[in-house]
Amino acid sequence: MPIQVLLDDVLHARRMTLTELSERIGITLANLSVLKTGKARAVRFSTLEAICVALDCQPGDLLAFEPTDTQGSTP
Amino acid sequence: MSSTSPDPVTLSRKALKVVIALNLVMGGLILGLLIASLIASSAVFKALGVAADHDNAALITGMRVIMVIGIASVPVVHLILSRLVEIFRTVTTGDPFVTENATRLRTIAWALLGLEVLHLAVGAISAGVSTAAQPLDLDWNLSLTRWLAVLPIFVLARVFDHGTRMRQDLEGTV
Repeated sequence: MPIQVLLDDVLHARRMTLTELSERIGITLANLSVLKTGKARAVRFSTLEAICVALDCQPGDLLAFEPTDTQGSTP
Repeated sequence: MSSTSPDPVTLSRKALKVVIALNLVMGGLILGLLIASLIASSAVFKALGVAADHDNAALITGMRVIMVIGIASVPVVHLILSRLVEIFRTVTTGDPFVTENATRLRTIAWALLGLEVLHLAVGAISAGVSTAAQPLDLDWNLSLTRWLAVLPIFVLARVFDHGTRMRQDLEGTV
């Protein structure tokens, strides 16, 4: 998928574990793990908001768009 | 108090399995009747109230074709009932919104349509071979309701398709 989840990088920068984040925002570790590994199909705004508050970051810090070869070649 | 009452879905599944067995038995009986009508023609048709002579040749052929249609309807009915059992199984396991159920419902709808076509063929044959002297009374009637009943099942199949996709999306939402 061209959308990359950078949660792991932000967590590392904040010296926070996924378990700590899970406890702070009240989202299960399993769900956060799905998000971190890029297996999620969608992210709720409420989840994004909770993560941004807990990690003091912007949604853009958590997500990145990396176009595939075909997408990159289109004008 | 109601905790000991049996689950209606489980009961229905058991009832369906009985109906599946009865359908196969019925098919076997019709096949037996067809074979008997070929081996001991006069005795069988006499028992059915038809004299097996040259005057009734078309009627006898018509009755045999109706028996063949009856046998042909057994696998179609089996298809419907077996798919229903599978759908009921997914309901009891708590996961009915699966792609397979949409396919099963679509199969059931096509099979019901097929049964109606066979029913129509029986009516046409019955009308074609009946005479005033020797009528073939099968208590046949054309029901628009049965034809229309097929449509909601096709719609339900689409609903299941859509529901399955929505659930998959929801499962992947964090």
